[in-house]
Amino acid sequence: MTTIKELRVLPPLAIGRLGAATEPMDNYTCEVDPEQPLAPRRLRPAPTFRVDPDSGAITGADTPDELRFTDGNGRVRPVAPFLEVWALTSDDVLQPLTLDLLSANDLTPDAVRWRVEVGNHKIQRRTYDDLDKIDADTGWFSDHAPHALMGRCPHFLDDRFLPLGHARYVKPTPEFPGIRLRFTPAAGYVYGSRRPTDDIEDDPNVVDYLYDAAKGTWRGHADRAGDPRLTIPANIYAGDDGPKGTWVSRGYLDDECDGLVRVQLEVGGQELTAFGRIGAGPPAYAPDSIPIRTIADELDQALHGPSASDQDTLEHARDVAEEVLRRATETVRLMNTEVMNGNTVDGRVDAASTMVRQDTADTGRLYEPIVAPSLVDSAAVLALHQNVLAALRSGTAPWFADVLRDHDEVGDLTAKGRRKMPALMRGADGRHLALTRRQVELVRLAARQEIFRQDDESGETR
Amino acid sequence: MSDDRIDPMNLTAQLHYNAAGNPPSTLPESAISNAYPGLEFDIRNIWRRLLVGIELHESDNYVVSADRGHENLVGRRLLSVGDHDVIGTVVGPIRPGAGSAPLTSAANPDGVMMLEWSNSLADVLADHVGQTVPCLFTVDPAPNPVGKPEELPDPRFQVVELEVRPLFAGSAATGGYLPVIAEELAGPGDLTRGLCSPWQNDYRECACYYWAASRPDYVNVEDTAMGTTTGNHWFAVHREPREYVLDDRFDSRLVSYDDLFQDWQGKLRFIVGGNDAPEHLDAGTEPKGDSR
Repeated sequence: MTTIKELRVLPPLAIGRLGAATEPMDNYTCEVDPEQPLAPRRLRPAPTFRVDPDSGAITGADTPDELRFTDGNGRVRPVAPFLEVWALTSDDVLQPLTLDLLSANDLTPDAVRWRVEVGNHKIQRRTYDDLDKIDADTGWFSDHAPHALMGRCPHFLDDRFLPLGHARYVKPTPEFPGIRLRFTPAAGYVYGSRRPTDDIEDDPNVVDYLYDAAKGTWRGHADRAGDPRLTIPANIYAGDDGPKGTWVSRGYLDDECDGLVRVQLEVGGQELTAFGRIGAGPPAYAPDSIPIRTIADELDQALHGPSASDQDTLEHARDVAEEVLRRATETVRLMNTEVMNGNTVDGRVDAASTMVRQDTADTGRLYEPIVAPSLVDSAAVLALHQNVLAALRSGTAPWFADVLRDHDEVGDLTAKGRRKMPALMRGADGRHLALTRRQVELVRLAARQEIFRQDDESGETR
Repeated sequence: MSDDRIDPMNLTAQLHYNAAGNPPSTLPESAISNAYPGLEFDIRNIWRRLLVGIELHESDNYVVSADRGHENLVGRRLLSVGDHDVIGTVVGPIRPGAGSAPLTSAANPDGVMMLEWSNSLADVLADHVGQTVPCLFTVDPAPNPVGKPEELPDPRFQVVELEVRPLFAGSAATGGYLPVIAEELAGPGDLTRGLCSPWQNDYRECACYYWAASRPDYVNVEDTAMGTTTGNHWFAVHREPREYVLDDRFDSRLVSYDDLFQDWQGKLRFIVGGNDAPEHLDAGTEPKGDSR
């Protein structure tokens, strides 16, 4: 018999995306065209699970004819991820937990228990008041009904809660026997604050009032200049100018959240548990593009360390290098590089919030464009990226290894330092973006190893 | 299920696993990590509790709280962990034609900055989990940035040994890690707490385009006879004329704060291949109204 030894929830971090449409976003794939590696990725409809609203079972997995991100009535289709349970079994493989595997362990689907806990702690992060935390907890459940994620907060008006979406244990069937939960995020609404005694006109910006401004301080809160505990950047909330240069909160809140999906199963008298993570954020508005540096890159570095190892093949390094370049191209394609370079545009100096502006405002550095203004039209920058890819592939781009910014060079605001790659972008520490060290190392490995390969092929010694 | 089997030790495969039915926008590789403060998550928060006994600011080398026994570290600054500095210098020119020098100010007399945790603590995480490491702190509370002394010991600084916590949860069956961020590092709400409230405000407020692959800037771009390009600002209410309206929160040609609070779903357009998605063209040039 195949015995279940341990459970895991996959993916370990699933991202939901907000939207008010009734029907979640269809499934699709995002593929690179091998003939045009820097062209936009191709989106193709993919088999999409249809979950019966009554039974909670999957009734089909058809592929839609076309992709639509909205419902045609001004509502965005939410992205509602599935999280699967996998089992580490006595034969030392990780395999999906299914009806058959449950049965082989004398278990039925109702032996699987779920619990989802999410929070929206944005207000508490500003006010430092734990009574401003908004939390939702489904408690344990084994049924297949939708379980609302009702965000509750001690500082809410009586009997009010923040809808943070819902979680549902998808009913397994012989056709779709996997054990999975679906997280459907919230609609993406803005909510407001009021006192019970307020006689105020409806604020058109909010769909409802949840926060009791008589209990908590969120409405009217102002980040205190000089407080080292402030968010960085500070003052990032909807507000209005207040006295002495303060930024005074309107008391708005949203329905984003993140948290844990727990699963529990008793096998042979032993309680097995596992958890995955979920979050709800805004839509990916350019779904055929991938950011240059992503949360997957962070976690990859945290798992494997900042250095390349024997496990990292040259082929893998080349794939990483090409992917970094592809992502850079995708960002450049959607960025007005002329503006972001700090050029004077339409007669306006300091035309936008750019690294040029930030460098001067934060450090007093001389205000000047990052590269020569004549070189940064989007068409020219895109062409440059195409050329770099061609050079990387032909093994003639060893110099590419040297133009990447190291993580400890982000404060190098010399002219040369600011021109390193990725250029024109801001990192998590507020200065010029560096890739993860692991990304940098793999790209350098790819760029430099190309020379070795070329030399080796020519028979020359290095 | 998408695949039949995964090697339980293959954490990369598990981390990148795409469950059946999930589009790619559910994956961590679709989420930005140059979090300042972030879009989907403020991922900087996973590092706050890496050192046992203290809680760091998610994006500064400042100790915001501490467990019993380490209360004296609250308000101080952490400068290095083991052999790895968590601060760097800020240098550049201040006048045209001048050379570069440390960029100092009254609030930053040493001209230094904190280096994001993900990169500055990467070696510590790789080499020292479960071990104690010498951590260099200022002796006094330091609300402003402080540079590292040229020589140690220095009476203004103190070394404190702290244990490094694992970032990932552990597997009892394999004795190794699982590819999920440990509960001790981040609880519910921790990964989004630093994001703008509401997030719609940040879409207008920031007006910067460091996340163009998620939140586009320059769309419907076409070549001009001059050999340059023209196109729309993503926030342009109208797509004709095809010109880039410079960001200005008071310019009625661009989507406003109130537009986003009230009807972001109707005002913002998905971009495919650099252009407005066909469904927006089908619907005409004017987005449909209030989505509530």
